[in-house]
Amino acid sequence: MQYGAAAAEQAWTAYMPMPAMAAAAETAAERVERVASESAVVVFSVSSCCMCHAVKRLFCGLGVSPAVHELDLDPCGRDIERALSHLVGGGAAPVVPVVFIGGKLVGAMDRVMAAHINGSLVPLLKEAGALWL
Amino acid sequence: MVQGEESSWRMAASTHHERAIPLNQALAYGVQAHASASVAATPPASFLDFQPAAAAAAYFGELEEALIHGAANAAGVVDPGMIRGGDVHTKSAATAGYLAARPPTLEIFPSWPTRQQQQLHSGNSQSVGSTTDSSSAQNTMPQMELVSPASIRASSEQQQQPQPGQEVMMVTTDDYSYKPGLAAASPSFQQHQLQQQPLHGGGDHDKRKLGSTRKEGKLVDAKTERRLAQNREAARKSRLRKKAYVQNLETSRVRLQQIEQELQRARSQGLLLGGCSAAGDTSSGAAVFDMEYARWLDDDSKRLTELRGGLQAHLLDTNLGLIVEECMQHYDELFQLKASLARSDVFHLLTGTWATPAERCFLWMGGFRPSDLLKILIQQLDPLTEQQMLGIYNLQQSSEQAEEALGQGLQQLHQSLADTVAAGTLNNDGPGVPNYMSLMAIALDKLANLESFYQQADNLRQQTLHQLHRILTTRQAARCFLSIGEYYRRLRALSNLWSSRPCESFIGTESVSPPGTELQTMHHQPQQNQYSGF
Repeated sequence: MQYGAAAAEQAWTAYMPMPAMAAAAETAAERVERVASESAVVVFSVSSCCMCHAVKRLFCGLGVSPAVHELDLDPCGRDIERALSHLVGGGAAPVVPVVFIGGKLVGAMDRVMAAHINGSLVPLLKEAGALWL
Repeated sequence: MVQGEESSWRMAASTHHERAIPLNQALAYGVQAHASASVAATPPASFLDFQPAAAAAAYFGELEEALIHGAANAAGVVDPGMIRGGDVHTKSAATAGYLAARPPTLEIFPSWPTRQQQQLHSGNSQSVGSTTDSSSAQNTMPQMELVSPASIRASSEQQQQPQPGQEVMMVTTDDYSYKPGLAAASPSFQQHQLQQQPLHGGGDHDKRKLGSTRKEGKLVDAKTERRLAQNREAARKSRLRKKAYVQNLETSRVRLQQIEQELQRARSQGLLLGGCSAAGDTSSGAAVFDMEYARWLDDDSKRLTELRGGLQAHLLDTNLGLIVEECMQHYDELFQLKASLARSDVFHLLTGTWATPAERCFLWMGGFRPSDLLKILIQQLDPLTEQQMLGIYNLQQSSEQAEEALGQGLQQLHQSLADTVAAGTLNNDGPGVPNYMSLMAIALDKLANLESFYQQADNLRQQTLHQLHRILTTRQAARCFLSIGEYYRRLRALSNLWSSRPCESFIGTESVSPPGTELQTMHHQPQQNQYSGF
């Protein structure tokens, strides 16, 4: 049975190319970490969220092209959102946008703004290789 | 003495302007006389208050009004003793006293009709010094009324001829002697001529263009003159009434504002106690915020005074640094206040109802725009080291970028909200549209995002202030906070001036007090209506 189940599962994963199925074994938090380290700048957002739009515009204005993960287009979006709210502190109702730079968590919009104002955002971006000037 | 006075009087008569000077001297003389006579009356003050500066007609008009005030003030302070004495000093005092004693309504300018002049001419040698008759005031009244038409006519002519004037002057001097009560004043009559005590028979003469000038050789109808005089007096009275009414309005308005503020505070406190019903247009949270904000402003002004004192006293950096730290914490308190209100009533903050109109002009997402404030401060903060300049420049640039990003996000929110509200057909009214309630629910969700945008904007403002504090030295930071405080205080003062500026057209050149009272109310109001753009 196990074999059959595993085979079925393998066949299933082979059939379904979605990485979400293959990553069913990893937790949402691990998923977040994995995704975050895939690019220099990663933004978890929701496509209809205007604050996410603002943070995207901020990075584009700086000359950075972040890798955006729209959680509403991700089947595991709910879990990821939950994991993110754990990471960020989960106070505000909308968790997104959450920004990772160089694999490290920066935080929600207020953290990003504070980092930009006190001048720590740009060096971070340069360090991560997202900016070259 | 009479001759000399005549000549001086004539000089005064030549031009309006010149007339003012001897008048001033005469007034001063009169004041001295008062002082010497040690009469504690207000007329001297009233004389001085109304030193003429305008054209002769307006000047005399104002003098009349002033004298009326003076007379009203000094009513009942008639001191017969003032009239006593043979020297000029006492006589001028007597004149002034008489002026003070005159009832205000008698504004008729007694002039000297020709026939009476001729009569008076004969009585030239009459006692100039006998002024012991304290009942002369009553006696002179009818005489003045008699002569007033002539003098009024003369004054209305507004044509002074030194020659006839001189003649008239002499006559009037004599005329004075006829009035026992005013006889003492006759030598000083010429000095006081231009003082133009309307109550004073002789004074009116001179006031009216140096005595009763009249058309050469023409006798003016006494009735006409009296009518004109009465008209003039009625006009004067109505002007005074109007002035009083306007002043009343101004004070009432200020009082109304105060009462409204108190009412709002009381209402909010009542809401806190759970007693009264909710306030009309402001929510309970907003009312509480307004109250707290007013208190914050009071504290702010105190801290600014502390800062100013610390800077001027050249305190040590450690001590000054403590004050600056307190200022920073004070601002943090305000951001805290705003954040707590944003959860319940963000629109009160976004629409800026807590701010004064001038501050509202510059409102950006419910507060000041950081890059604008930095632009202002950069000019105030010289000299800066190169590193500081670089730091501030970077700060300005990053705040601009952040503002731009937030603005774009807000723009998308607006667009999305508009699309949601306009979804479906707009031809039908609300309930008729299918999915109306779901439409409203979606719109409500989107509207709730405004709160997060406001929070981010406030966060940006707070971070900018903190970063500025980090870049600057203690003294520079002190000057920076002082500049910010003063800038917003000026905006508040500007709003007060704007709201109390005169819109009425009739408040023109007539009365002098309204602008003064407005300035006074403006000074009082900053303590009450302190709303800043933070």
